[in-house]
Amino acid sequence: MNEFLVLTITAMVPFLFVAQGTMLSGRAGIFSVSQEGLMLLGAAVGYLVSLQFGSNAVGLVVAGLAGAVFGAALAWATTYLRMDQFVVGLALFFLAGGTASLLYRVVIGEDEPPRIPPLPDVALGLDALVYVAVALSLFLWWWLYRTDAGMRLRSVGENPKAADSLGINVTRTRMIAGTVGAALMAIGGAYLPMVFSGVYADGIVAGRGWIAIALAFFGGWRPQFILLGSAFFAAMDVLAQKAQVSGLAIPHQFVAMLPYLATLLVMVFAFRWALVPQFLGRNYDRESRIVG
Amino acid sequence: MSTAVAARPAAADRARSVLVSTVPYVLAVLAAFAVVAVIIVLLGHDPAKAFRAVLTNSFRNPTGMVQTLQKWVPLTLLAIAFAIPLAAGRFNIGGEGQMILGATGAVAVGITLSELPLVILLPLTILAGVVAGALWAAVAAWLMERYKVNEILSTVLLNFVSFEILDYVASVVWSDPGAGGAVTLPIGVGAELPALGRPPMHVGVILVALLAAVAAFLAKRSVAGFELSAVGLNERASRLHGIRTGRVAVLSMVVAGAVGGLAGAIEVAGVHQRMLEGIQSNFLLLGIIIGLIARGSLTAVPFVAFGIAVLEVGAGSMQRVSGAPVEIVLILEGLILLFILMSDVIMTRLRRARATKVAAA
Repeated sequence: MNEFLVLTITAMVPFLFVAQGTMLSGRAGIFSVSQEGLMLLGAAVGYLVSLQFGSNAVGLVVAGLAGAVFGAALAWATTYLRMDQFVVGLALFFLAGGTASLLYRVVIGEDEPPRIPPLPDVALGLDALVYVAVALSLFLWWWLYRTDAGMRLRSVGENPKAADSLGINVTRTRMIAGTVGAALMAIGGAYLPMVFSGVYADGIVAGRGWIAIALAFFGGWRPQFILLGSAFFAAMDVLAQKAQVSGLAIPHQFVAMLPYLATLLVMVFAFRWALVPQFLGRNYDRESRIVG
Repeated sequence: MSTAVAARPAAADRARSVLVSTVPYVLAVLAAFAVVAVIIVLLGHDPAKAFRAVLTNSFRNPTGMVQTLQKWVPLTLLAIAFAIPLAAGRFNIGGEGQMILGATGAVAVGITLSELPLVILLPLTILAGVVAGALWAAVAAWLMERYKVNEILSTVLLNFVSFEILDYVASVVWSDPGAGGAVTLPIGVGAELPALGRPPMHVGVILVALLAAVAAFLAKRSVAGFELSAVGLNERASRLHGIRTGRVAVLSMVVAGAVGGLAGAIEVAGVHQRMLEGIQSNFLLLGIIIGLIARGSLTAVPFVAFGIAVLEVGAGSMQRVSGAPVEIVLILEGLILLFILMSDVIMTRLRRARATKVAAA
């Protein structure tokens, strides 16, 4: 396959996992802002576990579990304790990032880190996670819009009071969506050392977590459009990397700004037609008498 | 409905309520230290030795105190830059970018006009930093107000753009060919903040102390401060009562940017005398932690910032003395924040439980 296409599709994968995870918890009303930290944690855990066990698959699973713990913490703090979602999300972002650096420092120290082998090609020069990411997006599309459980989850993010009155357990739905969503975010982070660098570094995520939030808005919090949108973001990412090494007349710093500036520009439009879940980022208090 | 204004409680009562309200803070901090002690033990180091190194390093000699104050300056400023929009219910995660743009503005003036005397050049340098930071934040504020772009996202994305601007300025525009890496030429002598004492401490620390005091006063006593917190507490009610909520929110972001820019200008004029890659350190992260630990109170920010500065300065010495890695300190700070947030919830529950008991009795 065309090299640019392969690079773009590979660059899509972390965006897809993280943005779909953001979407999943967002559709249940939990707006996580810890993506950047969870990706770092996933990258560190994924790298270290893969190194210890000699298997990238184990690394991905453990990274997902680590992310799930933080996701469950966010969901618990915002449902049972009804703490502010942004504030707790930021706190968990710091903790996840700090844990990632700490784990790496404890295991590897200051030495030259050994490289882990890249994920093997399955078909068309692409690794298995590419197919998993696309399949996941299609599955979520089907699941959210064609199953009862999916509709229940969406109703919790739109109008939890109505959902509650119809017997849907708002707290449990949010706990599950938040936990699974965060696991996906960490897996997206674990993909980075397994495909791009072979090692973990503190700057490995480079804002992808924040861009993934933008992507969730850009895709209108719908899995099928997030799938399309991530292709655009990945292409920007690859173009910027390519232009930096190709020796264009433009200073490379300006090329490197492109993905971020493009994201900003896109958001100007995205926020106009974005269909944001009505209860996104707000906590549900079942005892409250205020409707909505 | 009675319209009588409640009498101001007696001084002793107020003192006691202040004392009672500090208890959960203290417990939260102790709990964070306890958890971190367990982590340090699990890593095979001595927590007592580690904590002693962290906490005493700033106070053992003048050098430690100067290092702490040098950290305190940008930490306080970035915490203020986070806390002002927070009062209006907005999240400014762009302190880093605003600081870098401030540093860029400062070196631009400090290098190109380096011949000017101190009385003119120093204020110009600082002013350039403040204006550059304010303009940078204004971009995010404009996107927020005009296009409803989430300000968390726009400010964070602008941070990443600012890193590239720093790299471009420091390695192309005013690059110092003698220095390896992205470092600018030194600014003119007239642009440097004067320093006092031995080891020397730049006078920016006095400036920041004054600024923090004024900001805390304005937040509590001025109309602008009142409108700011009114918008944060209930935006709809504020609008109905004639506060221009959009303008308050935009202004809060721009002022925050100016404060962030000042942090950058002071780092250039007082500490480095040039701009270099990594000048922003992790001040943004710590600034947010400080702002949240202080619960957005501008009065508390300088004090919390001092505590965090002590931890940060002690981190290196902790690694040397006890072998516990420096990253431990970030975990400690994150846990302090989390436990303080949770103590709020616990206190509310306790208060509610007591109220129910009183009502039942």
